[in-house]
Amino acid sequence: MDFTIAEELASVQQLAQQILNDFSDVEQLKAFDGEHVRFDSKLWEALAEAGLLGLDIPEPQGGTDLGFFALTALCEEVGRTAAPAPVVPVLVSAAGTLRRFGSDALKEQWLSAIAGGSIVTAALEEYGNEDPATPATSAKATEGGYAVSGTKICVSLADQAQRILLSANCDGQLIVALIDPKAAGVTLSPQLVTANELRHEIALDNVQVPAEDIVATGATAVDAMNWATQATRTALCASMLGLCDKMMRITGSYTSEREQFGRAIATFQSVSHRVADCYIDIECLRLVTQQAASLIDQGRPAEEAVTIAKIWCGDVAHRVSQASQHCHGGTGVDRDYPLFRYCLQARQIELSMGNSAQLTGQLGEEIAREFLAAS
Amino acid sequence: MNIELTAAQKALQTEVREYMKTVMTPELLEEMKDDDLKEGGGPEFRKQYARMGADGWIGLSWPKDLGGKELSHIEQYIFTDEVIRSGFAYPFLTTEAVAPVLAKNANDEVREEVVGGVKRGEVTIAIGYSEPNAGTDLASLRTKAERDGDDWVINGQKMWTSLANYADYVWLAARTDPDPDKKHKGLTMFLVPTDTPGYSCTPVRTLGARTNATYYEDVRISDKYRVGEINGGWKLITSQLNVERLSLFTHGQVHSLYESVAEWAAETKAPSGGKVIEQSWVQHNLARVKVGLEALKIMCWNQAWMMDQGPLDMAKASTAKVYGSEFFVELYRLLLECMGGAGSIAAHSPGAILQGKLEFRWRVGSILTFGGGTNEVQRDIIAMAGLWMPRTR
Ligand SMILES: Cc1cc2nc3c(=O)[nH]c(=O)nc-3n(C[C@H](O)[C@H](O)[C@H](O)COP(=O)(O)OP(=O)(O)OC[C@H]3O[C@@H](n4cnc5c(N)ncnc54)[C@H](O)[C@@H]3O)c2cc1C
Repeated sequence: MDFTIAEELASVQQLAQQILNDFSDVEQLKAFDGEHVRFDSKLWEALAEAGLLGLDIPEPQGGTDLGFFALTALCEEVGRTAAPAPVVPVLVSAAGTLRRFGSDALKEQWLSAIAGGSIVTAALEEYGNEDPATPATSAKATEGGYAVSGTKICVSLADQAQRILLSANCDGQLIVALIDPKAAGVTLSPQLVTANELRHEIALDNVQVPAEDIVATGATAVDAMNWATQATRTALCASMLGLCDKMMRITGSYTSEREQFGRAIATFQSVSHRVADCYIDIECLRLVTQQAASLIDQGRPAEEAVTIAKIWCGDVAHRVSQASQHCHGGTGVDRDYPLFRYCLQARQIELSMGNSAQLTGQLGEEIAREFLAAS
Repeated sequence: MNIELTAAQKALQTEVREYMKTVMTPELLEEMKDDDLKEGGGPEFRKQYARMGADGWIGLSWPKDLGGKELSHIEQYIFTDEVIRSGFAYPFLTTEAVAPVLAKNANDEVREEVVGGVKRGEVTIAIGYSEPNAGTDLASLRTKAERDGDDWVINGQKMWTSLANYADYVWLAARTDPDPDKKHKGLTMFLVPTDTPGYSCTPVRTLGARTNATYYEDVRISDKYRVGEINGGWKLITSQLNVERLSLFTHGQVHSLYESVAEWAAETKAPSGGKVIEQSWVQHNLARVKVGLEALKIMCWNQAWMMDQGPLDMAKASTAKVYGSEFFVELYRLLLECMGGAGSIAAHSPGAILQGKLEFRWRVGSILTFGGGTNEVQRDIIAMAGLWMPRTR
């Protein structure tokens, strides 16, 4: 058992913090709210130059190959600053999956591009379905490739990406493809989401995908989408860890200064204890997230650990964001004060790629299977 | 980062688990049916405790010059976890919390007598801090000790002195400076042999096991039984309480309850046909338990690991106390709900599920959130030490 954070990882985290802080003061963040795609291309360039986009990309493709755990550390820092940097869809869901399941040619073509700042995103969710291994989106084999039809939702950076990684069902066989959002048959419709950011619905109508843009088929495709699900959930947990830690600390300092009845409100136990409860929650989220991330990092089975982490993620997000806003009073919901942005981001993540109720149900079914099999 | 037990740690875990099966003899299980002997004290308990001493299991993490093995906190935790899981009434507070403090601070002769005795599994020590008017606010305790030549004369009353009914000594906090301005600075620690004239003990019945009130009427003990500096007791109390925390909320004991309930639910028929575990609300409760257990396990491991790296962060120690205690209580409820009304049948009554173990745990569980330092005080500590918030008034 070893909880040591490697020195190189600590320096990655420090470097990331420095860069992200430079790009995430309140005025800068405002520019990406609402009707704007939440993507700061200057920040992305700076991250590329610092080598931070290639943490989980092999060296020959321009990365530093520090692995998945290091990448989750970056996700945590992005969460902590709420910076407009789409690390989860681009670096985890898309690049991470390509790295592990793509053909050599695709890896050669896209991983170095991503490390250099190009955008490849992923579309993992559909209406009522957050499991990309069982998509309603369908595919037909055509000459030289596949024709894909269906709808994906809440896709980050769909209109900026050079390719979008997604899955489809081809007569009971799964395929994972890279779609060109400019291809014929692709319709992007803007969707404003809780996080107060613009995402897209992608409607695909017989979109032709050439064979060389197919990432995986059959059992490999299922493995790829299971990996993508687990890695994405874990990265979301890491982002949540940063977000919640920041919300709690903002709340700790605000309540230490805000006075009512002639004293700092933090000196009321009912206030300080609520923040202390956030501390306990966040400690739990940190531990289960680290467990999931280190298992994925080592290529070990991680499904149960990831499910547990994402359940904590949803619960902690809910409690910490609610407590933070409550302890701020009106200030917490004022759009000129930074807290609201963290709360909205947290709720977005809470609802993405499996929520607490759904995953608890799933975990319970697995427990029942395990014990019925043994009885 | 690799949050798993190493092969050697797993081997230790298995070894202790197997060993403890030989400690939990049928005679001991029979003896523990007596409410007063549930938490130790009977002849079979004494026999097995001494056997653990003879087999070298007591004091794994103590320094070598005390006869310990100087194992890491992680290994100590693995041991503690397995012992608690086995259900043996191992006197942890004696072995893990008080004995090391005595080893450091007691007079040589007493050290040999008491620490040596603990090592051999022959000595148990009760903790005498709380009083009728001093629970959370320990600094306000009033039992007093006065110097008389080479001796001390002790007068007062302690409340909730658990295990005093069979303990060989009481680890007693007494006031040696009556100046009210010196609340924390006027306390001194003593070891009172329970056969000293003037000492007495009466039972206090709680929702579960027995605890005691202890009385000190002109109890005269030699100065050799004073531990540490005169008026320097507070430091010893707090360092003892810190060590105590990691053995209170171990993962194994509640994990085994979870497994037992899930096994029971997989074997037992549900009214709607199928098995109890096939009902979605049962699955929901089991899943909630599992989610909480996983965090508890890693938190315990993490804290043991941190103790090996240096002193444990105060806010983190309090986090484990609050999380552990509140999760235990929640877990008892979630698991009991799976059993329905039959879950309320107490041990030894016909129909008791899992020998009424969970029913008992849940009933006595209410002590967890205030015993060993109330959760309010722990939250105060977290806010101050973990978040730099101002002290509450
Ligand atoms: C079965 C059992 C065994 C025990 N064994 C031992 C033992 O072996 N040795 C020993 O010395 N003691 C023992 N205790 C005592 C135990 O440690 C105390 O009960 C505990 O410290 C709480 O003290 P109290 O009961 O006086 O409650 P109080 O201190 O009166 O507390 C009552 C309530 O007030 C709250 N409260 C108190 N102070 C504050 C504050 N500052 N801020 C907010 N809320 C506060 C508490 O959280 C609690 O909810 C045992 C108790 C029990 C029930």
